[in-house]
Amino acid sequence: MKQTGIATKIVLLSCGIAVLLMVVGCVLVVQYEIKLLNNMTSVKVDDKEHYYLYQLYQKKNALTNHLTKQVNNLITMIKSVDRVYAQTLEFQIQSLLTHPNVTAVAFCDKNGHSFLAAWKLNKIQLSTKFPKSLQLDHYMVINKQTGIPSIEMIRLYYTIERIKQQLHVQKEQDMNELHETRKNVYKKLNTLFLAQSFGSFLVVALLGAVLIFSLRLLILNPIQNLMQIARQLKKLDLSVDITSSTASHELNALTQALSQLLEGFRKIISDVKENAGMLSDSADTMTGIAEQLTNHSEEAESKANVVAEASVQISANIHTIADRVEQISDNMDSVSSTSDYLFNNINSVANAIEELSSSLSHVGERAQNGTKIAEEAVYLAQKAGKTVNSLRFAADEIGGVSEFIQRIAHKTNILSLNATIEAASAGSAGRGFSVVASAIQEFAEQSSRAAKDITDRIASVQKGTYEIENVFKDVSKIIKEMNESSESISFAVIEQTKAVQEIASNALEADERARNINVSIEELSRTVNDAADNTAQVALGANDVSSRIQGVSESISFNRQISHQINETAIVLNHLSGNLKFMVDPFNVSHQSKSNNNNKE
Amino acid sequence: MRKINNITSEKKKLPETKRQFCSFQMAGHSFGVDILDVKEIIDEVVLTKIHHAPPEMLGFVNIRGHVHLVLDLRLLLNFSTKSIDESSRVLLFHPNVGESFGVMVDQIGHMIEVEESLIEYRLSDENISGIARDFRKSELEKGVCKLKDKLLIILDATKFLNAVDLKR
Repeated sequence: MKQTGIATKIVLLSCGIAVLLMVVGCVLVVQYEIKLLNNMTSVKVDDKEHYYLYQLYQKKNALTNHLTKQVNNLITMIKSVDRVYAQTLEFQIQSLLTHPNVTAVAFCDKNGHSFLAAWKLNKIQLSTKFPKSLQLDHYMVINKQTGIPSIEMIRLYYTIERIKQQLHVQKEQDMNELHETRKNVYKKLNTLFLAQSFGSFLVVALLGAVLIFSLRLLILNPIQNLMQIARQLKKLDLSVDITSSTASHELNALTQALSQLLEGFRKIISDVKENAGMLSDSADTMTGIAEQLTNHSEEAESKANVVAEASVQISANIHTIADRVEQISDNMDSVSSTSDYLFNNINSVANAIEELSSSLSHVGERAQNGTKIAEEAVYLAQKAGKTVNSLRFAADEIGGVSEFIQRIAHKTNILSLNATIEAASAGSAGRGFSVVASAIQEFAEQSSRAAKDITDRIASVQKGTYEIENVFKDVSKIIKEMNESSESISFAVIEQTKAVQEIASNALEADERARNINVSIEELSRTVNDAADNTAQVALGANDVSSRIQGVSESISFNRQISHQINETAIVLNHLSGNLKFMVDPFNVSHQSKSNNNNKE
Repeated sequence: MRKINNITSEKKKLPETKRQFCSFQMAGHSFGVDILDVKEIIDEVVLTKIHHAPPEMLGFVNIRGHVHLVLDLRLLLNFSTKSIDESSRVLLFHPNVGESFGVMVDQIGHMIEVEESLIEYRLSDENISGIARDFRKSELEKGVCKLKDKLLIILDATKFLNAVDLKR
């Protein structure tokens, strides 16, 4: 119960909200009822008021009727009597006053003045007039004309105060009763309200309790179990026994999955533990063996080393001699090689220069050739220009000729016309001649047309020749420029060729000298090499002995290194197995048989 | 030779109905005069002006030793005058038309041979009335010849000298 879980919190909150809602509902209902009751009582009070007014009105009417009836009775009675005495009148007036509500009566004459009056003030009094102290203005009045000579009018004063009082008392009683009943109803309502609120609270409390109980039973208990398991797992204790309770299905599935997972883990880790132990053991034994091996190989090495050192000393001495000789030979070789290199270089330079010279002479030939061609082109262009010029002159001449032809044509035309005229004037004899004349005219026209055509053509030819001339001028200019540039090229090439030939001759001389040097150095080198070879053979013999002894020593030292390596690896292995064990150890696997940990770590 | 033979045969068939005209152009119009009235056509003209003469008289011209009077036909036909150029020609008329005179024309055309039926002559009765100029013009016109593609106005060469006189 310490931890109030989420479920209990939710339940408590919902219960509280429900209680609040119910209380608010109750209060609203009671308020509504009270309002209803108030409305009802106010209606009833109004009713009572109306009823009271109505009663008053009826009673007043009844009284008035009753009194008029009495007065009428009195009048009929007095009429029926022959003679009226004063005593009878007094008696009659007193009898009228016996009615409790009548306060005063007066008998009046013709003028309206009273001759006999009676009034009630504690007791009945009689007089001819009402005294002035008696205020009759606020009483009700009945005036009645009698028709009797002696008594003209009877005036009757009465009051309704008594009736009013009676009715008021009654009304008061009713109202009191009403208020009483209302109070009673209020009391009942209060008790009802209390009962309602109490009942609702009870119901909510019951509901909350049931909810909390069910939640604890169904969800909280399994979750707490799971939490317990989780806490144990946190301590890396895998020996927890997970037995699924009969809780809700979802949680059941969860616990089952967890238990399966645990089972798997348990198996794996126990296996790992066992294997780690075994590994550690074997690593230990291996370390021991490797150490023994190392010791043995170290001993052998030290012995071999002693022998090796001695042999090395011998070998070194011989070697120093051989080295010196070889050094001389090497130096000789290097001199020879440099002279060779020098010779080669000079040779290649000479070759390159020769090639350069030949190519330059080639270029010179080409340039000269170009110059010749350009000159020829210039010559041809000039010739073409001349030809075009003569063409133009010819065209001009043709123009002149065509003009001449045209003039002749005109003349011929005139001639033919005149011939026609002559033929006509000759009459029928000149008919034949007129035909000839007309034919001549036709020819003249044709020749004129042809001459015009020729003139046009010649004009276009002239234009073309002019353009050609211009073009030829441009072309010849360009060719001249070309010619100049190629000439300058050929000059430059000739000069260069001369220079290059000089260089080539020098290079050839250098080449020859370098060859001489090379030959003499090669001879020297050969003799030195022979000496070096002899000493080298001696050194090789000594070296062989030394190297064999060293080989023995090296193989022993190699053995030692290997055994060392084995030892190191065994130690590393041991360390690793210890680490593995250390890692696996915290896992508690009480269900399985515990592995025997007999490692030195 | 064959051509000439043909022509002679034609001549035998239609001896009287054909007439010949010498055509020329003036201000874009075609005119013609009877070829029998024309003596000669001259192309190279050297005019000698006559200063006191009316403007229709262009001047004298010397042809092979004979002096001829040259009239301006443009002015006679009421066109504006025009300077002499390469195509200008002078028509000289026969002495039976008028005493040794010729007219200047803009351009000479062909000799035209037409049938008589194609020529419509003006009736001299119809143009009695009219002003002097109209009279002159109509008097110069003899008729109209219908050619294939145009109309050729035929002028009466005998009226030319009179037209100059009338104007004065």
